[in-house]
Amino acid sequence: MAYSDKVVDHYNNPRNVGSFTRDTPGVGTGLVGAPECGDVMKLQIKVDVDTGVIEDARFKTFGCGSAIASSSLATEWLKGKTLDEAAKIKNTDIVNELKLPPVKIHCSVLAEDAIKAALADYREKWAAKAADAAS
Amino acid sequence: MNYFEVFALPRRLGLDADDLQRRFYELSRRHHPDFHQAAPPEAQARALEASALVNAAYRTLRDPIARVEYLLCLEEGRAAGDGADVKPAAPPALLAEMFEIQAALEEARSGGLDAAARATLAAQRARLLERSRDAERRLTGPLARAWDEGPEADRPCVLAACREALATRAYLRTVIQDLSRALGEDEESSVSNRRH
Repeated sequence: MAYSDKVVDHYNNPRNVGSFTRDTPGVGTGLVGAPECGDVMKLQIKVDVDTGVIEDARFKTFGCGSAIASSSLATEWLKGKTLDEAAKIKNTDIVNELKLPPVKIHCSVLAEDAIKAALADYREKWAAKAADAAS
Repeated sequence: MNYFEVFALPRRLGLDADDLQRRFYELSRRHHPDFHQAAPPEAQARALEASALVNAAYRTLRDPIARVEYLLCLEEGRAAGDGADVKPAAPPALLAEMFEIQAALEEARSGGLDAAARATLAAQRARLLERSRDAERRLTGPLARAWDEGPEADRPCVLAACREALATRAYLRTVIQDLSRALGEDEESSVSNRRH
């Protein structure tokens, strides 16, 4: 199967590979996987606790080219977004941008799940503290 | 008609392999296209279709793990093999572990595999293989019995446990294969779970 140019580009030059330590203030971590193909994806956001804006994002994915490209693209899109905006990123946006074929749609679903998991983890860990600081 | 109905069997996970084979031979003889060559084209087409269904049903039900997978599909009202919209049910601890192993594997690969690294990977693979077999034993033993003999009210829990055991096994098998490949002992043919 031929990968689109954008997938190949993200695969060869993945953006934002790496990780933040979990206890860095404002970091939310999402770890998701697809048992059917064995992929594991870790996606992290670093949020400015005062403004609620995502300052930075990192990922590390073990999986096929489409899974790597989907998560690489997701980290690019996340930077500069508010939490609410980030929650609106849909797997179909990723499919359209990367021109993923039907058999690779589950890779984009995985990336959306990873974003949701990272947002939920951030809220659980830091949102309460941010509210405390504001009051 | 579902695969259990093909063989006039109840929807149970425990089944007698010899009995299943007898039923399979009998149906194969009845529907085999060779025995319908003189029949009108529609009847031939029906025989061919029936024959294909019997073959698919036998292939699935004779394998105890495929049998559980199929039962899950049936109970969840999905078509066999249509898993795209099903949420993965791997436990979070397993995900974290798979991530660690893949990271270690990547590091070992980039450093070139010396004898010590190979020994570590091989030992890890042996442990994972044992756990994968453990998941299989759970599926074909206690979980199968719980489905067949347990109270009706427990069935959703039993199915959830089956789903988790299957997801665990699928994960372990993929990582085992990645380890085998890194060690230069690819067992591609023996494992069906592959990345596309």
